[in-house]
Amino acid sequence: MKIIVLNCGSSSIKYELFDMPSKEVLAIGLVEKIGLKGSAIKHKRGNDAEVKIEGEILDHNQGIEYLLGVLISKEYGSLRSLEEINAVGHRVVHGAEEFSGSVLIDDKVIDALEKSSELAPLHNPPNLKGIYAMKLLLPEVPQVGVFDTAFHQSMPEHVYLYGIPYILYEKYKVRRYGFHGTSHKYVSKRACELLNLNYKKQRIISCHLGNGASITAIKDGKSYDTSMGMTPTEGLIMGTRTGDIDPGALLFIAEKEKTSISYTRTLINKFSGMLGISGVSSDMRYIEDAANDGNHRAKVALEMYAYHVKKYIGSYAAALGGVDVLVFTGGIGENDTETRNNVLKGLEFLGIKTNLKNLNVRGKEIVLSTEDSTVKVIVVPTKEELMIAEDTYEIVK
Amino acid sequence: MSELVQFSLGGRMKPKGNIQCVGIIGCGSVGQVVTRIAAQYGMDVTFLDVSDERIKNILVDIEEQLDGVIAHWGITSSEKKLIMSRIKGTTQFEDLKNCDLVIETISSRQKGTLLSLRQELFEKVEAVVREDCIISSDLSTLIISDLARVLKHPERAIGIHFIEPIDKTNIVEVVKGRDTSDEIYEKVNRFVSMINKKAILINESPGNISTRILVPLINEACEILMEGVASVSDIDETMKETTGYIYGPFEIADKIGLDKVLKYMDNLYMEYGDKKYKASPIIKRLVRANFLGLQTNKGFYNYKGNGKPIGNTISCAIIN
Repeated sequence: MKIIVLNCGSSSIKYELFDMPSKEVLAIGLVEKIGLKGSAIKHKRGNDAEVKIEGEILDHNQGIEYLLGVLISKEYGSLRSLEEINAVGHRVVHGAEEFSGSVLIDDKVIDALEKSSELAPLHNPPNLKGIYAMKLLLPEVPQVGVFDTAFHQSMPEHVYLYGIPYILYEKYKVRRYGFHGTSHKYVSKRACELLNLNYKKQRIISCHLGNGASITAIKDGKSYDTSMGMTPTEGLIMGTRTGDIDPGALLFIAEKEKTSISYTRTLINKFSGMLGISGVSSDMRYIEDAANDGNHRAKVALEMYAYHVKKYIGSYAAALGGVDVLVFTGGIGENDTETRNNVLKGLEFLGIKTNLKNLNVRGKEIVLSTEDSTVKVIVVPTKEELMIAEDTYEIVK
Repeated sequence: MSELVQFSLGGRMKPKGNIQCVGIIGCGSVGQVVTRIAAQYGMDVTFLDVSDERIKNILVDIEEQLDGVIAHWGITSSEKKLIMSRIKGTTQFEDLKNCDLVIETISSRQKGTLLSLRQELFEKVEAVVREDCIISSDLSTLIISDLARVLKHPERAIGIHFIEPIDKTNIVEVVKGRDTSDEIYEKVNRFVSMINKKAILINESPGNISTRILVPLINEACEILMEGVASVSDIDETMKETTGYIYGPFEIADKIGLDKVLKYMDNLYMEYGDKKYKASPIIKRLVRANFLGLQTNKGFYNYKGNGKPIGNTISCAIIN
């Protein structure tokens, strides 16, 4: 069965074509700068070298049309015709309280997604655009929505509610939803597979550290708590997002700087985090270079990053009543050994013993803890697209 | 490197009817803001003005406006780069030929409605643009049908009135003329929502809604001031508090520009002959003294560059 997975962002579409259930990746690529100058498709068929095809891409519809065109082309294609595509899997950021698992997309689901767009105004509309475009181009092909929030729907009420008047939860569903669910679910499960542990009986803390970052406490195979909240701004300090901040401080800033709601949104999502503190970049590699050159703000930013992760690990260990497995994933979690090691430093009291030999391994599945460590520490590169393909396969087959 | 077009599936997904390229004629204060906003929301904008030097200055002005937005955390500097890359200036009508929508925003500070000048511009635009291009004017006291009648295809003409302060006002008055087609109205409606505003559809009438109500409001505020009932800032504050307006009548007059306000008043008085539109002597006096509001840093208030009023300039009709 051929399944195409789409991850539609505001100006980009990540795609991956799988053969299921063999999990073979037939093609992978990125439609970038949609509606902007320099738009192009970066495409890679199987083991071929990546090609970049440039041209004007005005909107998501056109981007998807071209990517399908590339997939069935003689030069770069993996398919003879579009009829070979059996299903489409979409990454959908916000599923609100409606969706606690992946679903076959029908008109009712689309309706519900349109409603939940209010909760994720930056993320859900582009996801929907991908769904509409596919519906138009491949009307007979089943489409499946896989939600970033679904895995966290198992959080208990006392964990997901905020300390605000209850009526605001009732009226607008203001609460913690959490994100990166597909990733947390995949890496925690995979970690147990690799460590030969029963997934349903572990206390796992999973750290997805990328440009956006979140930590999840998983109890007996279910998400118990997670650091991102109603929006992906809460929790850890991130590339350009604040992470946790006193809401009173935000009000104070808005009053002093006379910022409107939309400007404040940009301030906390685009100017803050590692970029805001370091003044260098949101990219860890540049910040580390600057810190090595003696840049104080870059140094503090790195300290903040590691400290925030550590603080969450500690609090989730308390929430779970201990921890059996600690997982790292995401661009930083998989590759940035310096940050990872800084997070682990001082966590010996939890029962973590690290294996020096493995600490500096990047980008692959590797156990960082020693045989006799009570807590297993492991790196698992995330495979969200594969998870989406698997869910889609399960629903469609 | 190959081109993407060859992978098109017969163009069956080509976006239809969306405005991708906007032309602006006359890039004064209104034109600049519209240019900036349209580019901010992803459209390519070509503005036409009288000389290369003006074009250079306009681009500098727009950059400065964007720097102001950055300073208040509204956009990032890479977004600014992107916005600027979408904006082009020209002195040639020919360069508007690829536009989906052309909006005339020539300075409305001169006397009268500039009907013949605007008609001439409409004709010049129609001579170069595609058949499906929408031709529009940012008009407040003028009638779109009067402009449309010089066009070969009057159904493509529509009024779009951007209301000051354009950045903050969430609505745009869209004026359907006698011949404006529903299709054109729909397209403009989509354009207005693309720039994150809401279209208020109105049937053509000089002054639309906003100018027609603002003019007597400003006049009445001037009456109260002339009678010595209260000061400029107290009148403004009272109106803000009792109605929830963002600005009081004097603040808004200063922001629009008193020369422009005076022109609105004259035009509406000419049209309706009702004395509620007749310009207050205070407005005339201030305009003569070149107290034009924010643009000259003096109007009903003094300003010090940052747009924040500091102290009234006038009480009981006497300029201090």
